[in-house]
Amino acid sequence: MIRESYRQYGDDELVKASLEGNKQAFGEIIARYKGMVARTVKGMLGDSVYSEDIGQDVFIKLYKSLPDFRGEAKLSTYIQKIAVNLTLNELKRRKRFFSMFTQAGNNEMYEYEIAAHDSEERRDAAEIVGKALKGMDPRFRIILTMRMLQGYSTRETAEILDLPIGTVLSRLSRAQEQLKGILNKL
Amino acid sequence: MKASEIKKMLIRSLDPDADTRDFPEKLEEEGVYFDFSYGFSDKVLDRLSHAVSASLPQAEFIKGMNYVFYRIALTGIAAIVILLISIFLMEGSLSINSFIGLSDTYDESIMCLLTGN
Repeated sequence: MIRESYRQYGDDELVKASLEGNKQAFGEIIARYKGMVARTVKGMLGDSVYSEDIGQDVFIKLYKSLPDFRGEAKLSTYIQKIAVNLTLNELKRRKRFFSMFTQAGNNEMYEYEIAAHDSEERRDAAEIVGKALKGMDPRFRIILTMRMLQGYSTRETAEILDLPIGTVLSRLSRAQEQLKGILNKL
Repeated sequence: MKASEIKKMLIRSLDPDADTRDFPEKLEEEGVYFDFSYGFSDKVLDRLSHAVSASLPQAEFIKGMNYVFYRIALTGIAAIVILLISIFLMEGSLSINSFIGLSDTYDESIMCLLTGN
């Protein structure tokens, strides 16, 4: 009920209130951006309890780093960067862990749970997207996640991933080739 | 949307010039959505509350230590000053001999004290 009143607040006001220790205001930030974070984290790591933990870590890290947020970038971009960094760190950790036991890549941990949809068409869509994400190299999967699941432009993708635009363009092309290969098999 | 259309949309999203802004919305309409489990926000806020309350005793302890350290340091400085003043008043100087209480003692008498002869 109290959180309702924060719905009309702008991001800057919510950040200010959160810095003053107002948990309700921070709760509104979570409510506003959890979907965006879920698309990045679950798009990259799949649907599992680990993704939930990483999602929580994103907001914990955001809360701790709010004093450093100067408002130069949009809050959504700032949160997205944290989500991308934590997700990529988790992928590296998994890769290290699996390389100790097996030659298998980190895709071993990718679980894409297809939600129970009402129609076959909708089930197909979820399955295709899930299999496409799962089959891609993480370097390309993050590009697909930013473009397809988040709707970012090439320039925004480069900014969030902290990559030169040339690198993103080259990865887009290679990711597209890989994706075509995966989708042809489906 | 047919499976072939979804595939085309996926491939198109990786065209550098494609306008992908409405793609997430289109995917959601097709039932492809990502979200965290029920009660996610409350879990984060709970974790934050625990993190804050766990860090509070630690911070209080460090603050307390700082306070105690200053009190001890100031008391020590005051004691040294009082000691210096009392030595000066009793011995009339602040030489090393005055400090260690050897102002009226000769080397020979120390030898006597040490050797017992």
